[in-house]
Amino acid sequence: MSLAAASRRSIAEAVLSIGVLLLGIATAAGTAMLPSQGGYARVGPNFMPGVTGVGLILLGVWLLYERFSGGWRNMPPQEAEARGEHAFHPAAFVWVSVGLFAQMALIQSGGFVLAGAALFACVARGFGSPRFARDFGIGVIITVAVFAFFVLVLTVNLPAGWLAPLFSLIGLE
Amino acid sequence: MGETLPALLHGFEIALLPMNLMWGAIGVTLGTAVGVLPGVGPALTVAMLLPLTVKLSPVGALIMFAGIYYGAMFGGSTTTILLNTPGESASIATALEGNKMAKNGRAGPALATSAIGSFVAGTIATLLVTLLAPLVVEIALKFGPAEYFALMVFAFTTVSAVLGASTVRGLTSLFVGLLLGLVGIDGQTGQSRFAFGVPELLDGIDVVVLAVGLFAVGEALYVGSYSSRIPEVMDKITGSLWMSKSDWKRSWPAWLRATAIGFPFGSIPAGGAEIPTFLSYAVEKKLTKYPEEFGHGAIEGVAGPEAANNASVTGALVPLLTLGIPTSATAAILLAAFQNYGIQPGPMLFQMQPDLVWGLIASLYVGNVMLLILNLPMIGIWVRVLTIPQPLLYAGILVFATLGAYSLHQSVVDLATLYVFGLLGFAMRRWDIPVAPAVIGLILGPLAETQFRRALSISQGDPSVFYQHPISATLFALTALLIIVPWVVRRVGRERAA
Repeated sequence: MSLAAASRRSIAEAVLSIGVLLLGIATAAGTAMLPSQGGYARVGPNFMPGVTGVGLILLGVWLLYERFSGGWRNMPPQEAEARGEHAFHPAAFVWVSVGLFAQMALIQSGGFVLAGAALFACVARGFGSPRFARDFGIGVIITVAVFAFFVLVLTVNLPAGWLAPLFSLIGLE
Repeated sequence: MGETLPALLHGFEIALLPMNLMWGAIGVTLGTAVGVLPGVGPALTVAMLLPLTVKLSPVGALIMFAGIYYGAMFGGSTTTILLNTPGESASIATALEGNKMAKNGRAGPALATSAIGSFVAGTIATLLVTLLAPLVVEIALKFGPAEYFALMVFAFTTVSAVLGASTVRGLTSLFVGLLLGLVGIDGQTGQSRFAFGVPELLDGIDVVVLAVGLFAVGEALYVGSYSSRIPEVMDKITGSLWMSKSDWKRSWPAWLRATAIGFPFGSIPAGGAEIPTFLSYAVEKKLTKYPEEFGHGAIEGVAGPEAANNASVTGALVPLLTLGIPTSATAAILLAAFQNYGIQPGPMLFQMQPDLVWGLIASLYVGNVMLLILNLPMIGIWVRVLTIPQPLLYAGILVFATLGAYSLHQSVVDLATLYVFGLLGFAMRRWDIPVAPAVIGLILGPLAETQFRRALSISQGDPSVFYQHPISATLFALTALLIIVPWVVRRVGRERAA
């Protein structure tokens, strides 16, 4: 394993282990604010959260122990090549995320079709497709088909948004 | 036993209604079409297609789901054999020989033995479910909350701590799932927990959102980041699609042996079709008359694991239907589908809604037949799905995945939650933390808590109920053994090696 890869791995393992530990502490703190009265059972709504919080804390400690005693056990190879993959490609991660955020921002106002087409085009871009406008067009075709299927066959309404006048023109409402 | 046959015949009357046959056919077709997509396993297929059933009657919806379930499995095998990209751990064993066969121009027989083997194993396993389920129901009716709780702890342990590369990472996944399951209103006191005043969270976190987030969004982020620039090579189907006489002769004993291995693994709440598929592969490798072919495309090595996989997932319906305990991510989502209709699987379901249960079991037989006659001849069409360029493929998967999550409550909060779970899924995939325990923890956690508190209510808070009842004491002892024995074995092994 190269030195850079090894140190990336140990940092990630430390961060994730501490993350689990903190999640456990937060859960335990949240549990302390819950009422404990349980009626006949003598255990109330705070019992399972308490068990879960303590469990996560113990698991976080266990992961940290593994991290400092030779690293997490039985891990797949750290080098991307040994896993049959290529090095981390941040642009793809960002484009997929942008697509999902665009969809969240657009779905209520712009409607299901435009939001879905935006998601489609961004994800395709992230996976290396150079033709954004064409992909957006394909996205529109797919989402219009889904929209029509939901409205006409399932009788479930999806938000029409800015395209509502167009849809009512062709009888899709 | 005397009551099973009339009940099953009545089930067939329901499953064979033209409408229900149609839902079954649509389910099988859609399941295969989606399941064949690389990177889309059966769990994700079922989760993504869940919203399609909102307006159906419960019986129609569940029959459609049975079709989707089988279709997705078959579609997944096709991809595994032709692309060498197992969509889930249970397909890895198939990929070993199946892809080699495809490379040697024997993709046709590989797909055929996988389809017919799945049919044979699925049908025998369904028959066993039919015979076994009423017996388990008899026993389960005697179960009280303490026994149920013990059984759930047993299931938690097997799905998280025993299987997989690391006990601690499996348990971490499980506890994250348990924590997510706590979000929302406590069913027994009305107390809101970990909802942070967000009204959408009061209803709890939907298992569909978690599954789609982990499997689809996480997968897209991962594949985009780490393997989108690697061209995929698909093996063409050349030569005959049909199996030769010797292919048949070599396949059928493997199918039967694999069914015998797969079914018990599925039906005890131990989860995971992964172990039986590898066991079956090992058995076939040992028994074969053609050991030189193993590693170069031996048909037994496809026939066995595929049949074992199908027998195991069908066997998993026994704990799901009779006890309400899911032992795989796919079964967890099926349980969520039941809950959407206000149906809680368990022994009472067999008594209260026999039409539904037996209609579903009958439709498993029908679904198997449909799969064979619809899918095998149409294999050429399914394979064309694999030629969709990767950018459009993943773009499409995400459109349908977000649709599945959004259409549940038409809420942007669900989309935001979906993204958070996508990030979680990405991290878990990258750092080898299994995701299935989280999905099972989310859906089974609240049920386990209910049984736990019910048991203590009945005993007036005395915890000895859990070890004074013989069944629950036995289950807890088994659970402890499951954790201790492998640990001791490993210790001893290490000392001997040293």
